[in-house]
Amino acid sequence: MLAALVAATSPSAQAQQRLLVITTSPDLKSLVEAVGGDRVEVESLGQPEQNPHSVEIKPGQLVRVKQAAMLVRIGLDHEPWLARLPALTATVVDASRDVPLLQTETPRLRTARKAHTHAYGNTHYWLDPKNAWPITASILAALADLSPADRAAFEARREAFLSRLEERLAAWEGVLAPYRGARVVVVHDSWSYFAERFGLRIVAAAEPNPGVPPSPGELAALLDRLRGSDVRVLISDPHSDPSLVRQIADKGGVRPVTLLPSGRDYIGLFEENVQRLSQALKSGQ
Amino acid sequence: MTELLLWPFAAGLVLTGIHVYFGLHVLARKVVFVDLSLAQVAALGLAVAILAGHPVQSDAAYWYAFGFAIVGALLVALARPYEGALQQEAVIGIVYAVSAALGVLVLDRAPQGADHIKQLLAGTILTVTPQEVAGLAALYAGIGALHLLLRRPIMQASFRPQDMPHAHLLLWDALFYASFALVVTSSVRVAGVLLVFCYLIVPAALAGLLATGFVVRLVVGWVLGAALTAGGLVASWVWDLPTGPAVVAAFGAAMALAALAFALRRLTLRKSGLLASSAAAIAGALLLAFPQMDQPWLDAIEAAVPPLHTAFLSASERTTRDETLGSIARAREELTRLRALEADVRWNKVEMDGEKAERLRQYLAGKGEISAGDALVLRHLHDKARARQRYMLGLPLLAIGIWGLWALLRRRAA
Repeated sequence: MLAALVAATSPSAQAQQRLLVITTSPDLKSLVEAVGGDRVEVESLGQPEQNPHSVEIKPGQLVRVKQAAMLVRIGLDHEPWLARLPALTATVVDASRDVPLLQTETPRLRTARKAHTHAYGNTHYWLDPKNAWPITASILAALADLSPADRAAFEARREAFLSRLEERLAAWEGVLAPYRGARVVVVHDSWSYFAERFGLRIVAAAEPNPGVPPSPGELAALLDRLRGSDVRVLISDPHSDPSLVRQIADKGGVRPVTLLPSGRDYIGLFEENVQRLSQALKSGQ
Repeated sequence: MTELLLWPFAAGLVLTGIHVYFGLHVLARKVVFVDLSLAQVAALGLAVAILAGHPVQSDAAYWYAFGFAIVGALLVALARPYEGALQQEAVIGIVYAVSAALGVLVLDRAPQGADHIKQLLAGTILTVTPQEVAGLAALYAGIGALHLLLRRPIMQASFRPQDMPHAHLLLWDALFYASFALVVTSSVRVAGVLLVFCYLIVPAALAGLLATGFVVRLVVGWVLGAALTAGGLVASWVWDLPTGPAVVAAFGAAMALAALAFALRRLTLRKSGLLASSAAAIAGALLLAFPQMDQPWLDAIEAAVPPLHTAFLSASERTTRDETLGSIARAREELTRLRALEADVRWNKVEMDGEKAERLRQYLAGKGEISAGDALVLRHLHDKARARQRYMLGLPLLAIGIWGLWALLRRRAA
């Protein structure tokens, strides 16, 4: 009788024991799941289609944040909206902690306009698959602190995930190898880490300041540069201004390709982006 | 310049053509904000279209926007007979606020659309295509022809509604607002909400100040609209500014100039004396009390007449200033040269080995902001001069201002 009762309640008891983890982006959710497996329940505050800089928190999410054992964030100045949340009881993991950052030069006075100036360095670091190593290491450390009994299981899961990622990374590098050193133009400067990993050279960003459309002078200079160059591909984001993309593509003679800066499945995100990019580079040759 | 700005200019002319006409009507009807309200309803329609799975630039999305705007237009038309109980302006405001909030709710379910709708409302007149301009011109020619054909009742509904039976008024109002909704939906797609609002109101308002009679005002408005479009576009090119906001600012400047001209016409010698004395007294008092505060008026005069600044420096300070200015100029020149070189390397115009190119990039990124030290020296000299100007300029200014006020006011009392 008692055994039957225990058996009947144990699934819900186990569900209660699962750690609730909140992430700010779906990419981080995918990485936490890769390490935590069935020991965690993960929810992302931001959606892949959303602008990560301006997420509006809803009451239901606020309740979940308060219940969470752990919150994982991109860090730097990527989520200004996070500061408006009430004080957290959860362990906060800054995923950027051990990541080598790019573009950390902080201008003191702005006498010249610069592409996408982040105060602490470019924040789109998850777009280099190699950065999954330090990110998952931070996640692993925090999860193991919260649930020491599962440390070995977390470590094994992380190893398995990283070896699968390593294998896929080799395949992606193989697909993009013929285009190593290719010069590309981006609309928004979110592709530095990705470009660095796969050997692309970003020569310019069409939006000198993110969100502010280029002036006619800047646009003219860009088109002028494009016409005499070997650049064949323009990388845009899903939320880039379509009329700006069309104008640069038509007048500059480049092929536009939309890459996804964020996705629900970390490995799937790169599969998709590598396929889109290789097609664009191939037909642009 | 002409290659990039030709089509934005053509788009501006087309917008001027139809919007000045509607603007005169809208001003007569005293419903200035109806345009912003309908644009917001159209944006709600776009959000719903995105939720239904249509891309933001698709024809389907356009028809959604138009459909919603028509409903908004009918609401405004229906509200007019009840003007006594509820102002039409209140209905317009409510439609604006509620559709903006509904838009947020809809976009919460379709987050991919949020940025596109923001871009749409901000406008992208710089990247308008010839096809878009031609489409707008054809559509607006059709609407213009319809209004020309039906001019008698439409004019009456706007300018002499009291002479019209209620049932007729409702019919013509519905037609007016429906065609206006079509114009707003189509224009906002190309130029954005702010610019469309300016095309609607500013030339018509200025024409109302300068001329009388509908046709004369229409022509004056067209000329002003075309001139201000050209002015804004040139400013955007010369000063390297985002195009849509630059044209809006040109419209704003025209309005400010007109206001200033009207104010000057009513200004007597005595009034100008009082104004100048008050300004001098306030400026002097501020300089005296807070010498280190930003004094933009003094900065501007010093920039135009440097001796006003250098006169308050010692000889050795003047030498330091000249040397610093020279060093800044040289550094700026060098930086421009290196930046151009770095861009040439990036674009593969100039060969440079990888390591050297990276060193150059890092040098420029770190240097980025030229000679912060030099800027600091200038700032220090500026502060020193201000400390001396505090009494030598501030006191006389205050005294002149108070004396002027006293003399002018006493004369009146006498």
